[in-house]
Amino acid sequence: MKVVNLLAAVDAEKCRGCKTCEKVCPVLAIKVENRKAVVDAERCRGCAACEQRCPDYAITMVKREQPIVVKVDVDAVDYGQIEELCRRARLNPEQIICYCTATRAEEVAAAILQGARSPEEVSFLTGARTGCKVECIQPILRLLEAAGIKPEPPKDGWQWYGRTVTVWEIPEEVKRKYATRGFYFDEDIKLLDRVVSAPVQGRREPDASSH
Amino acid sequence: MRPPIKPIPPRQSQYGIDPALVKTRVCELPGMTSVLLKELFPDLPEVIYPGEGGVAAVRKATEEALQKIDMSKIKPEHSVNILASHHGFTLLGGEPYAEMLKTIKDVIETRTGCKDIRLRAGVGLRFRETEEYIKRYGLDQYFNGKAIGVAPIDQGIPIETEIGTLYGIRKIYDADWIVHAHNSDVREVHFHRQVDRAVKPFGMSYARIETRSTYHQNLGPRAANFTARAIFDSPFVQKKFAFASFLTVAPNGIIGVDADSDLYALNDRVTQIGCLYYGKMMTLFGEIDECIAALDFPCPVVYVFSAGVIYANFAGANTDLYDLDLPLPAYTWYTEAFYGKAGRPLLADIPPVNPAIKMCVHNYAWTGYPSAFFSEHIPTVVVGQEQADLFNRDPQNLTYMKHAVVAETTEAAMEFAYKVTGTRKVIIFDGAMGGINVSEPMAELLLKKAPAVSERVENELLPKWLRQRGVDR
Repeated sequence: MKVVNLLAAVDAEKCRGCKTCEKVCPVLAIKVENRKAVVDAERCRGCAACEQRCPDYAITMVKREQPIVVKVDVDAVDYGQIEELCRRARLNPEQIICYCTATRAEEVAAAILQGARSPEEVSFLTGARTGCKVECIQPILRLLEAAGIKPEPPKDGWQWYGRTVTVWEIPEEVKRKYATRGFYFDEDIKLLDRVVSAPVQGRREPDASSH
Repeated sequence: MRPPIKPIPPRQSQYGIDPALVKTRVCELPGMTSVLLKELFPDLPEVIYPGEGGVAAVRKATEEALQKIDMSKIKPEHSVNILASHHGFTLLGGEPYAEMLKTIKDVIETRTGCKDIRLRAGVGLRFRETEEYIKRYGLDQYFNGKAIGVAPIDQGIPIETEIGTLYGIRKIYDADWIVHAHNSDVREVHFHRQVDRAVKPFGMSYARIETRSTYHQNLGPRAANFTARAIFDSPFVQKKFAFASFLTVAPNGIIGVDADSDLYALNDRVTQIGCLYYGKMMTLFGEIDECIAALDFPCPVVYVFSAGVIYANFAGANTDLYDLDLPLPAYTWYTEAFYGKAGRPLLADIPPVNPAIKMCVHNYAWTGYPSAFFSEHIPTVVVGQEQADLFNRDPQNLTYMKHAVVAETTEAAMEFAYKVTGTRKVIIFDGAMGGINVSEPMAELLLKKAPAVSERVENELLPKWLRQRGVDR
């Protein structure tokens, strides 16, 4: 969940239409039209990527009159399916995958199960990847892949390029080669496997007396 | 008791409040004192900065260190990117790092005749931060307009490694040669665990989001820094790598400059400094039984400094951050990620945030790093509504103030902390150079505990830490 309380605002006088903002927006909410950047206010998630990278300092973040709460309802999807998808992606459903918005794997899984087909759609629906913009692309790509989805990066965009290696995929010869240099690959696999299989906390077990 | 050391001043930045709003520093309050780090650990090395020679000592040390570097492969018609990282600019005020960067440029130019020398300065999560430092230290003029800040969402370049494709920032690598300019400050040892510290920026400051996300989400807390080694070892990077130049840093200041065209040889030397000297400070911090932690430094919450140690590491000082047999410290993003919806860790053996920190007084610290985990787990008082408002506007900290309260003044915040916690032990993260600003009871505790800590680190912990990393003493 994310509370979106900011909105990107373009100073048309300063904008030179370079398209940097378009290339870095994680939800594709800003586009250059007629050589000026235009913001889709409904779509903007207030991450400030455009404001932080505009080479002409033509964008400012302004406070929204009415903040938007961005959230996918986890309860609207069968939790068994959510769990199955998360664990296939080697994530615990309650594991936080976006530190800025505290978005958990289960919410991203719910978004995918409800039809999100790309990181941009996941970010638009959940708010994940609209805080620091940096750290949460991989678990989102892993969850999409686990759902059998192969998204294409936005054409000419810099939003993302591809999924990268996980610890479970490190070649054995690499592990052997660096075994004495402090890289604890196998030990980390054991730790992460325990996290993946740990029970969730937020859901009550069915009441035995009701059966 | 010694008077407090003058702290690093507030700094004008879009990530912090106006320095004029910081009316009182915590060290100025009654009962505060300082302890010189040499009083705690007499074996700490002599420093070249801070010192009487000022940053000129850094220039001299850089010139001497670079004498042994073979620069013959750099031809006059070539281009060179000097690669920098934002953390260097917050170290001891930033001037020594800026001076090393300027000196590297001058030496390359003089020795090789090369004129196309650029500065590429990477950032963390504050994408304009190195742009601010470039202006502040006149680096844009010094590099003839060829100094830029680069961010992890800038255009990328795929790099083929022995663990598959990873991604760097294109502008980092758009020259014939790259020079890795960094420092040995251990900074966030909770993340890299002092494993390949000297290599880390290749997976962080010089890397795209995909690579950084690999580090923080895909590999695990002790394998994470292999992403940096994989990139550095790639044929693509190796064919561009010229040499590395590092400010060598101990908790009490800059002890010299080390340069090498073999980064792993430099890395081993850096590991020894990191484990021995910083290891002692962190182990000593782990001996603190109860305290109020005061943040008062121009950096995000996690990165505020005391005795060369950042607040995030103090929040994990109840664990041995160097011991790789321990899977998770009390704080990393991995640890943070593993707290479930009920607010408890998903695994019972995940350590709690340092229980010695009874309260945090946030007198002055920046936005631009997700920090709500700290205010959620440590009772936090923020001084001034302006800072609260700033955090509420930061997309990375929308819930920081949900867990914190606001006090009007520094004095009121500290009085509140004293009353609620019942302790008078205060440790101030204000970047004081050469020493540490604390309250008198805290000074007494640190001076009492330091000798035994020193002996324990040298005889028991250091041999284990170095053995785990394959580094001989």
